[in-house]
Amino acid sequence: MTKEGVQGVTEEEQQAQSKKALKKQQKEAEKAAKKAEKQAKLAAEQQSTDEDDFAKDRYGVSVMVQSQQKLGKQCFLVLRQQQFNVQALVAVGDRASKQMVKFAANINKESIVDVEAVVRKVEQKIESCSQQDVELHIERIFVISQAEPRLPLQLEDAIRPDGEGEEEGRATVNQDTRLDNRVIDLRTTTSQAIFRLQSGVCQLFRDTLTKKGFVEIQTPKIISAASEGGANVFTVSYFKTSAYLAQSPQLYKQMCICADFDKVFCVGPVFRAEDSNTHRHLTEFVGLDIEMAFNYHYHEVIDSITDTMVQIFKGLRDNFQTEIQTVNKQFPSEPFKFLEPTLRLEYTEAVAMLHEAGVEMGDEDDLSTPNEKLLGRLVKEKYDTDFYVLDKYPLAVRPFYTMPDPNNPKYSNSYDMFMRGEEILSGAQRVHDPELLTERALHHQIDLEKIKSYIDSFRYGAPPHGGGGIGLERVCMLYLGLHNVRQTSMFPRDPKRLTP
Amino acid sequence: MALRELASLEKYLGLKKPNKYSTQGDKKIPVLQNNSPPLVGLVTIACHLVKESNHQELLGDTADSRAVVQQWLEYRLTRLDIYTKEDIKTVLKDLNLYLQDKVFLAGNHVTLADILIYYGLHPIIVDLAVQEKEEYVNVTRWFDHIQHHPGIRHHLPPVVVLRNRIYTSRHR
Repeated sequence: MTKEGVQGVTEEEQQAQSKKALKKQQKEAEKAAKKAEKQAKLAAEQQSTDEDDFAKDRYGVSVMVQSQQKLGKQCFLVLRQQQFNVQALVAVGDRASKQMVKFAANINKESIVDVEAVVRKVEQKIESCSQQDVELHIERIFVISQAEPRLPLQLEDAIRPDGEGEEEGRATVNQDTRLDNRVIDLRTTTSQAIFRLQSGVCQLFRDTLTKKGFVEIQTPKIISAASEGGANVFTVSYFKTSAYLAQSPQLYKQMCICADFDKVFCVGPVFRAEDSNTHRHLTEFVGLDIEMAFNYHYHEVIDSITDTMVQIFKGLRDNFQTEIQTVNKQFPSEPFKFLEPTLRLEYTEAVAMLHEAGVEMGDEDDLSTPNEKLLGRLVKEKYDTDFYVLDKYPLAVRPFYTMPDPNNPKYSNSYDMFMRGEEILSGAQRVHDPELLTERALHHQIDLEKIKSYIDSFRYGAPPHGGGGIGLERVCMLYLGLHNVRQTSMFPRDPKRLTP
Repeated sequence: MALRELASLEKYLGLKKPNKYSTQGDKKIPVLQNNSPPLVGLVTIACHLVKESNHQELLGDTADSRAVVQQWLEYRLTRLDIYTKEDIKTVLKDLNLYLQDKVFLAGNHVTLADILIYYGLHPIIVDLAVQEKEEYVNVTRWFDHIQHHPGIRHHLPPVVVLRNRIYTSRHR
C-alpha cells in the first residue's frame, strides 16, 4: 500500500483531490480484477455463523499493520510502509460490520494487509504518524501474511529516543536485542531512513567519481599474502593450502594504476581480523577506495578526494533531508557542517593547537584517539567545520609504502581526513620507485620475500600516484551523528557476532 | 610539598628572611622552630607568617570574612588531601557551586584561603581533561584568575585554560 494507491470513492473526495482521482481510477481497474478473485475465494471459505454479517466479503487476512487500538465501535490501526505511516480507521457503519471491526482489532501486529479505503482530511493533526493531515477510512481489509502473535521486540519501543524512555518509564530496545532480531529492527522508520541514506552515499560516490573520469574496478578478496602486517587477516582454507581475506584493495588499486588506468575506484568488502570491541570497529565493512595518478603534486589527489566528499555531503543535504530528519527524531544531533574548499591543516599546526590547549605530545608522535577528538573540537570551534584534512604526517608513524616528504625527511606526503573528530580516511602518496620501496621496507624490517610481487609491479614504468579509502558505515554514522557503527551496518560483523 | 608552598608564601608576603622548616611524622607536617613553642601544621604556620608580615588583610577584613577564611583553611586540611576519584568529583562540584557568584573565596580580594586552596587544588586541576575543565567552569575561572595573580604562582607550572567553550554540541 502506497500513499497514492489508496482509492477514494465519494464525490467530495474526487472533487477535492482531482489530481489523485485519475491515478485512483487507474488503480481501481487493476484492483477490481484482484478483488473479484479474492471475493470468490473468501465466499467459498466463509462460515456464516454470525447473524447478518453484511460486510463478510470486505475483510480477511494483506500493508503492514504496526499497531491497533479498539475503542467500542471503532478500531484504529497504524499502517506503515517503509519510512511512512498513516492512521486508519475501521468503524461500524454501512461498510463495516461489528465482526469486521473485531477482526481488524485482532490482526497480529506486523502482519501484511491489503486495504481499500477512503482518504479523508482530519481537523486535528495526528502527531504520532508521519502523514499527519489525513486518515484512511477502511472499506475492505485483507491479511496477506500473518505475523506470529508474540514479537521479539515492539517497534514503538525500537524507535523511542533513549532519553524519553527513561523519563516516562517506557521501554527502549537495547542494541543486542535489535541485532539479534535484525529483520524486525530494520523495519523501523529510523533504520529505513539510515539505509536509504547509506544507499545514497554509495550512489553519490559512484556518480561523482565517474563524472571525474574514474573507472570502477573489482579487486580480488582472496589473496595469497597479507598486505599490511600479518596480525589482522582472516585465514581461509584454499584447497590444499591457505589463503587470506583482503584487508584492503590497496595492492590491486596500485597495480591498476601501473596498468595504465590512471584513475580508479572500487566499492567492496574489507575484512579486518582486529579483536577490537569498540563503537567504531567492525570485522567486515564496505570500503570505498580511490587511487589516482597525478601530474605535478600529490595535493591533486587530496583535492580530488575532498571534492568527492563535499559532493557527497551536498547530495545528502539536498536530496535526503527526509531521511536525516527521521533519524534525528530518534537520535538528535547537529547538522553536519563543512567548508568549501575543504579545510586543510598541516600536522605541525595541529600539534601547536593541541599544545595551546594544554596537551603534552611530541612533534613526531601519532595522534591518540582522545587527542584526535579534542583536535576535532578545537577545529570546530575555530573554523566551524566538522570535516577537515590533516596533511604531512610524521614519517615514523606511517606504513612503509608512504612517500617521504622531499623537503623534510621527518615528515611524509600522507594525510588523514576527519569527520566530527573521528578518522575516516587514511591516505598518502605511494612510493612508486622499486629501489626506494625496498629501502623503506627494510627500514621497517619487513620480509622482502613476502612483498616481492608488490615491488615487482613497479619495475615496468609506474606513474606517481596516491589515494585513500573510507569506510561506508563509518561515514554514514558520523554524518548522521550516531554513536555506534553497528547502527549503520545492516548485518554487522564484529569479534562477538557472526549472525544473522 | 608543604614546605615549597610555605617558601612560595614567604616570597609572596615579601618576608626578607626565609625560615627554616623541619617536618614531623609520616604525613610530613611542617614545623617552624623559630620561637618557643614550635608551630606545627601548614595552616598554623601560614597564619603566623601572614601576621608577621603585616598583611593582615590576607586573613580577612571583617569578622565575617575572617570566619570564611578560616573555614576554607580547614577545608584545605581536611578535604583536599584526599585523592580518590569520587572525592575529587565531590570537591570540584562543591567548589563549582560555591564559586558561581564569587570572584574570590572570601570577601572581595585575595586572601590566604585563595592561596592555600590554589596550591592544594593545583595537582588535581593539572590532570583534568579539557572537557572536565569546561564542566566545572567556575572552578576553572577562579583558578585561572588566581594563577595569574602577581606573586602567587611561583613553583607551580601554569595550567592552560581555553577561553572559548569547545564542548557545546551534543555529540559526545
